[in-house]
Parts: sequence; structure tokens; C-alpha cells
Amino acid sequence: MNKLNRRDFIKNTTIATASVTTIASGISLTTFAAKSKESAPVTNEKRWGMLINVNKLTESSIDDMIDACQEENGWGSEVHSRAEQKPDWIKKVKVKDKATGKIDVLPMLCQHCEQPPCVDVCPTNASMKREDGIVLVDRHLCIGCRYCMMACPYGSRSFVHENLDNQKTHMPRGKGTVESCTLCVHRVDKGEIPACVEAVGGDGVIFGDLYDANSKINQTLKKIQSTQIRSDLNLNTGVRYSGI
Amino acid sequence: MKHLLTIFLIAISVSMSVQIHADNRIPNLGDKANKCKDDECKEVHKLPNISRTQSLVIQRKMHPEFLLHKRDRTLRQGVRGGRASLAKCVNCHTSVDKNGEYIPVNAPQQFCSTCHKQVGTSMDCFSCHRTTPAEDM
Ligand code: HEC
Ligand code: HEC
Ligand code: HEC
Repeated sequence: MNKLNRRDFIKNTTIATASVTTIASGISLTTFAAKSKESAPVTNEKRWGMLINVNKLTESSIDDMIDACQEENGWGSEVHSRAEQKPDWIKKVKVKDKATGKIDVLPMLCQHCEQPPCVDVCPTNASMKREDGIVLVDRHLCIGCRYCMMACPYGSRSFVHENLDNQKTHMPRGKGTVESCTLCVHRVDKGEIPACVEAVGGDGVIFGDLYDANSKINQTLKKIQSTQIRSDLNLNTGVRYSGI
Repeated sequence: MKHLLTIFLIAISVSMSVQIHADNRIPNLGDKANKCKDDECKEVHKLPNISRTQSLVIQRKMHPEFLLHKRDRTLRQGVRGGRASLAKCVNCHTSVDKNGEYIPVNAPQQFCSTCHKQVGTSMDCFSCHRTTPAEDM
């Protein structure tokens, strides 16, 4: 057994340190590579949907949903637009039963139809539906004709009437194009839930994959009575309501 | 006469190369890109099977195509991440002024404007897309 002298010791530790740094830089390289990996395209094996239980929502919880949407997507601080021009990605709608006088207040947003009229009428293919059921405006192709706004039975789309700045990184917006609820697609693609759903918490609004038999939304829809608004139009909406 | 012509030509080429340098043709890469260009992100624009320098040439020439391709993939197919994201260009190629505020990446002398000014191209991307990194990036 030969004794380790001082010189050998230094030599060995240098080698050891050197290999540690290579490992460390190797790790940072792999994390960098992993970060620049693209996610897979979405497929029609999923269909995203939302179940809004009107009985569990108060007017103030609907306001919370609106606030969360504005905060997340950066709309609502337009200064030059008139009231009727302002964007409305999600709004509060009061419906009154004429016979009984019963009033329901419900949050109204893009219903993410399976057969979206806004997509049918779009002359540039900007109005589109992703494979997983999310209906979007591809604002790169949008020419601002607003046919889709007229076609939408829910009045869910709005038009940007003024120049904007300081937009959110994940939600570019600009004058001359139409916009609407994206079901927080930038969050959904990361495996998160839409901002308004998170804001309500509990069972007030359930978000999930309608096709997945194990999902809470699928199971709840099987159990309870629910409706699609204007179901007479056969649009098969992704957003469903219960308690109305 | 021949000599005169040669001298003339040399004079022209010298003045042109001086011009190129004075023109400030090398774009201001931005703070983050400058900081990481020699180690962490030196391969950010590297394409498979060709050298880093050749890849940069392609990036200079083809970045509009890459961006448009990425744009369609993100919107139509939900493909996220990857190297060509516009949000990432902005994140890496912006600079900070002396008050510590971000300078918009398309402001004069900034990365996404110098070359474009020279070639006279204008683009509307930044009427919607944020020109500075988000606070949380
Ligand atoms: C009218 C508004 C608007 C304009 C103008 C616009 N975009 Fe976009 N862009 C969007 C929206 C909205 C998204 C979707 C964001 C999301 O879903 O994450 C997007 C997403 C993208 C993406 C994918 C996300 C990312 O950060 O990589 C790219 C790439 C992109 N745009 C490139 C461009 C380029 C290049 C231009 C200019 C030629 C441009 N955009 C002009 C609104 C716009
Ligand atoms: C992680 C940081 C980073 C990101 C993200 C990034 N770049 Fe770069 N980019 C660099 C660096 C560093 C260089 C210089 C590379 C070198 O000198 O080897 C560079 C160089 C370039 C050049 C060539 C500049 C020249 O020398 O003429 C172009 C063009 C360019 N980038 C465009 C883009 C675009 C467009 C995007 C978004 C799709 C982008 N970059 C995203 C770091 C980045
Ligand atoms: C090295 C110089 C250079 C830099 C730096 C540069 N570009 Fe370009 N870019 C060009 C040139 C040259 C063209 C014109 C190409 C053409 O017309 O074919 C162009 C065109 C474009 C176009 C297409 C414009 C249109 O509508 O025709 C987009 C989009 C674009 N650049 C985005 C960017 C972004 C974003 C950045 C900053 C991250 C950037 N570029 C930085 C040189 C550059």
C-alpha cells in the first residue's frame, strides 16, 4: 500500500474537481436541451369542457371569475373604447323566467362549440377549432371583418378598437382583431386549469376532459342534470351549465 | 492607367469596408444573449449537422420562416416550447437601460430593429406581442 503524498493528493483532488464541473455543466446542458423540446401536437382524443353549477355561484363569485380572466389575459383596461366596444371575454348575464320571475345570474363566455358558427363564417380561416375542442381566433390571420361576432349566438366575441401596449407575454392582443375566451389555452397546454375555474375553487366550476370517463367533469355530467345554452342549435357546446 | 484603376478600386473597397464597420452592422445582441453567448446559450441557434457559424447564417436569413412556422404550430396544434418561440427571442435579446428598465426589443438600436431598419422591412408583430420580458420570466 503506497502512501499518498501531498502532491498526489492535490493531483487527485484536481481531477475530482474537474470531473465534478463536467458533470455540473453536463446537467445544465441537458436541462437547457429539455427546455427547448417541443410538446406533442394536441389530438382529438381529448375534448376540453367546463361545467358551471349556477346554484353554487353567487354574483360576487362571478365577478371573481371576470377579475381573474382580466388579470390573466390582460384585457379590461381599454381607455378609448366606448362601453359597447369594450372587450368581454367573460361576462355576467341575468336570465329571468317570465312566468315565475326567477332570476338566474350566470357567467357567459365562449361555449367552445363542436360545430362553431364562428368558424363556418370566417373568410380567412382565422376562426378555428383545435383538435381538442378549444375554439380560438388565430389573430395572425384575422382581418377584423367581425363576421364571427355576428355569427356567435352567445355574443362571446369582441373586437379590439384601440392600440394596446404592455400586453401579457402569453396573451398577445392588438387593435383590429377579434378575440374571445381561449379557455386559457396557454395554461391548459401546461396542464393547468383556466384562471376563472381556479378563482371559484370548489365545485362551482369544473374543468376537464369530457371524453375521459375518469374525469370529474365526465362523471358529474353523467350523474346530474345539465344543459347546453341554446341547445336547440345543436352546436354541442363544451361549456355546460347546471342549476338553471 | 491600369495602376490608377487598381488604386481607385482599392480605395473604394477600403472605404466600403470602413463604411460597413461604421454602419454598426453587428446587431446589439441584448444583455442576456451577450452574457450567455459563450457558454450556456452558445448553441441556441445551432442546427443539427452544420456548424454554429453556418447555423447563425441560416438564423439571420430564415428567422421569419422559423417564426411563422412556430406560430402556426402553436396556434393550430398546441405545440409549445422549442427554440423558435417569439416570447423567447424577446426574453433573451432585450437589454436593460441605466435605470434598470427593459428597453423594448424593437426600439431603435435594439436587436429586432437594427437589421430591419437597414433592409427596410417593417413588421406588425409587436403591436400584439410584448416587447419586453415579463416580470416573472
Ligand atoms: C393581432 C395580434 C397578433 C399579431 C399582430 C401577431 N401575433 Fe403572434 N400571437 C398572437 C396570439 C394571440 C398568439 C397566441 C398566444 C398563445 O396561445 O400562447 C400568438 C402566438 C404567436 C407565436 C407562438 C407563441 C410564441 O411566443 O412563440 C409566434 C411564434 C408568433 N405569434 C409569431 C408572430 C409573428 C412573427 C408576428 C409578426 C409577423 C406575430 N406573431 C404577430 C397574436 C398576434
Ligand atoms: C437563450 C438566448 C437566445 C434566444 C432565446 C434567442 N437568441 Fe438569437 N442569439 C442568441 C445569441 C447568444 C446569439 C449570438 C450567437 C453567436 O454569436 O454565436 C444570437 C444570434 C441571433 C441572430 C444573429 C445575429 C447576428 O449575429 O447577426 C439572430 C438573427 C437571432 N439571434 C434571432 C433570434 C430570434 C428570431 C429568436 C427567437 C426565435 C432568438 N434569436 C432567440 C441568443 C438567443
Ligand atoms: C441579423 C439581422 C436581423 C436581426 C437581428 C433580426 N432580423 Fe428579422 N429580418 C431580417 C431581414 C434581413 C429580414 C427581411 C427578410 C426578407 O425580406 O426576406 C427580416 C424579416 C423579419 C420578419 C418578416 C417581416 C415581414 O413581415 O416580412 C420577421 C417576422 C422578423 N424579421 C422577426 C425578427 C425578430 C422578432 C427579431 C428579434 C428577435 C429579428 N427579426 C431580428 C434581419 C434581422
